[in-house]
Order: sequence, then structure tokens, then C-alpha cells
Amino acid sequence: MKRDDKVRILLGTRKGTYVVEGNRRRRDWKIGSVAHSGNEVYHVVADPRHPGDLYAAVNNAFWGPTVQRSRNWGKTWTEIATPLTPLQKDREPELDESSPTTPVPRPLNNLWHIEPGLPSEPDVLYLGADPHLLFRTRDRGESWEPIPSINDHPDKKKWAPGAGGACLHTILIDPRDPRLLYVGLSAVGTFRSEDGGQSWRPRNKGVEAPFLPDKHPETGQCVHHVAPDAADPDTFYRQDHGGMYVSHDRMDSWVRIGKPLGDDFGFGVSSPASAPGKAYFVRLDGPARITGEGYFQVHEWNDRARKWRKLVSPGAFPGHFGVHREGVTTDNLEPPGIYVGTTTGQLFVSPDAGKTWRLIPYQFPGIHSVSVANPTAR
Amino acid sequence: MTRRFNALMLVVHLDSWLREFGPRRSEKVAAKSVEQLLDVLEGRYPRLRFKLRDETGQLRRYVRVFVDGEDVSGTTGVSTSLARAQTVDILHSIAGG
Repeated sequence: MKRDDKVRILLGTRKGTYVVEGNRRRRDWKIGSVAHSGNEVYHVVADPRHPGDLYAAVNNAFWGPTVQRSRNWGKTWTEIATPLTPLQKDREPELDESSPTTPVPRPLNNLWHIEPGLPSEPDVLYLGADPHLLFRTRDRGESWEPIPSINDHPDKKKWAPGAGGACLHTILIDPRDPRLLYVGLSAVGTFRSEDGGQSWRPRNKGVEAPFLPDKHPETGQCVHHVAPDAADPDTFYRQDHGGMYVSHDRMDSWVRIGKPLGDDFGFGVSSPASAPGKAYFVRLDGPARITGEGYFQVHEWNDRARKWRKLVSPGAFPGHFGVHREGVTTDNLEPPGIYVGTTTGQLFVSPDAGKTWRLIPYQFPGIHSVSVANPTAR
Repeated sequence: MTRRFNALMLVVHLDSWLREFGPRRSEKVAAKSVEQLLDVLEGRYPRLRFKLRDETGQLRRYVRVFVDGEDVSGTTGVSTSLARAQTVDILHSIAGG
């Protein structure tokens, strides 16, 4: 694959996959390839280890979920192996509580997130799915193996789905060690594995669960998304149902940072590689799941100064916007670009760390996910 | 009515949306049950696998199977006998937005 200088915004929408192309200035954009028409695409991601390779989590309401791959920046796509809920003979089945001898089959529902592995493992990717499932491929998606330690976790019977389903939606890999993994599960919380996924421990200390009788359980928190700090792999920014949090100790403990904002509900968060110590959240009105003040807004958290800053002029983009968990992302350029896709199909872009904003003049279907394929040329 | 095929041979009509994965026209299949019919179709067209049934073997939520015009999706489903059947229609239901 030829190396190039383009910046590509990858959108997973309610009706397909869109690739929006620009350059390093990030001022002018054009709609590139469109694919998977009519399908719910929950996530599209570029594999930076193999320039040109994109993966999409495609969920068809009629024919089920598929993993699709492009080898040419989204011009053409091929269905590759789709991981399926393991119903093998060696798997301990869940049992129906009303009939304790009856196994309950758990078919795979929607695919939620695809995470490329580290450069040291060029053929490894992870995939998160509903119902609370994690898979790994060691051959770039030709086959998938379930991760039983999380998929069959002994506490799983206590895990209930969130409004979006029983989704395993966040997968993070420590850049120093491919065995150090983190996952986020709706209505369950975050877990850490230090042995490549052989065992997992819940890591939700300090995160409030306002919707449970016990406000600080070991699990049961509804994590919405987690973003790692690019400069400090021990630091994470978390948007939870119960507010905005930061951890400086590999998720051993969490500190709530969102209270100065009042309602610190939201779904998306991102921290750019070129701005360590900064994270971008889109605050939403909790009950309504939209920007409650009547205009588009992004908040910047400065972790060193421990201060918040509003980035968008209140009069710039009036309206009530919803943003999903994968709806906020950043690129690795200097200054960092910030990209926000809304549930009603608007795509907002800031090419300069939030100083200026532009609404891309194209009405997309409702946007599930936004990610960026950074330029491969240096 | 005179049957055009032998005792177990029936005609299957597939949803046009499925032509990406399966036959472009009607298909002649010998099968004793809906489950066996789907097994045969998936054998001939491997990309149909898991499109009509999930990995538990049950019909997907929005897949409708009509045996001689009768919708069996919500009743006998994949275990429906085709011993006396002449036609099977496999369609998607009205859903979505």
C-alpha cells in the first residue's frame, strides 16, 4: 500500500460506512467512499500497522453481524470471519434460572468495537460484542478465538445489559506490554488483565453507580467509554454513566473530575496523542441524552492544571445534539484535530485543538462512531 | 395439483436481498424439514451460513419462512416438517426504519 498524506475520517453510521477525506490542514473535506448501505455500522477503524486496511463492525438487522475488511481505504470491502458465540462442547453453558438444567444459548448480537493490536503483534486484533463478549484474532480476522476468562466470567450472571445492549465496547492495550489489557462493558464496568486476557479483575474503585442501591459496588458501574492518555499509559479518562473520571494508576482507582460541570453525563471521550494530559468530552443532559443547553459544546479537561475549558462558542451551532460512545475522536497531528459525530448525522471538526470548529456540509445518517486514519507519510 | 418433482423435492424462493449470499433464482431442494433445507442451502451457498439462522440454529428475528404459504417462523420454526410441502418462501419481515 502506497504511503500517503491524507487524513481520513471514518464514520460508522446507522445506514453504512463513510470515508471523509482531507489533508493535514483539515480545512477542506470531501466525501470519499460509501459502503454497507442500509447496515448499522457500529465501528470503523484503520489498522495503522497495515496502511489502507480498515475494519468495520457491520450489524444487519435481518441477517446478523459481520466483520468486514477493506484493503484500499474503504473503496471495496470483503466479509471476513465473524466471531460467533462459543457453543462448543467444552464451554460451560449458562443455565436458565427457572429451569436449572436447561442451557441458555446466547447468540451473538451486535459487534461493537474492533481494536488493532500493537505493532509488535501485527496480525492481532480484538473485537468486543454483545452479549459482553471479547474475541481475539491472530491472523488479521481470518479466524477468531473467544476470551473465556471474560466471556464466561463467574460474575456474569449478575451482569445486566444497558440501554444499548450488553456491549463490550472498549478495548485498550498498554503500548508497553501487549499482555496488559483493559476492557469496558456497559452496566458492568472496567476490567484489567495483566496476562494477555487469561484473567481479569474489575477496576471501578471510586466510580459511583447512582442507579444501584450500593453506590460503590465492585462491578455494576455503567462505563460509557475510556480513553488512554497518549503520554502516560497509566492514565485514563473515563466517561461513565455516573460522571467523568480520571485514573492515574492503571485504573486501580478513579477520581471524579466532572462535578464542576454540574451534569457530567455523556458518552464519548478522547485524548489526542499530540496533547498529553488533555481529554475532550461532550457533556450531555443525563435524562435527555442530548446537549441540554441548546447548543453544540465540547469540554477540554487539562489534567495537569486540573481545569475545564469550554471550547465552542454557545452561538456557533445551536441545537440539541446526541453523541454516542464512539462519537468523539482525535487525530495525532499538531495541533490535534477533534472530531465529533452526532446521532442526527452532523460531523463537527476542529483542526486546531478546539480553537475553531466547522460543521462538515453533508447530512450523514445518524453517526455511531468516528475514528481517524492518520497520515502514513511522515 | 400435479407435483413436478419427486416426493421430497420442493421449490425454494429466496428473498432478493439474499441474492448477495445465495441463489439468484429459485432453487430445487430435497429436504424433510426446514432445518434440513437450510443445511442444504448453506452447503451449496456457504455465505448463507448464519444469515438466516444464528449460531444456536434458530431463525433470526426478522427472517420469515413460509411453507406452502403458511408462516412457520414463530411456530414450528426450523423443526417444521416438509414432508407434504411443495414450496418454501424465505423472506425478511417488515421491520426497521
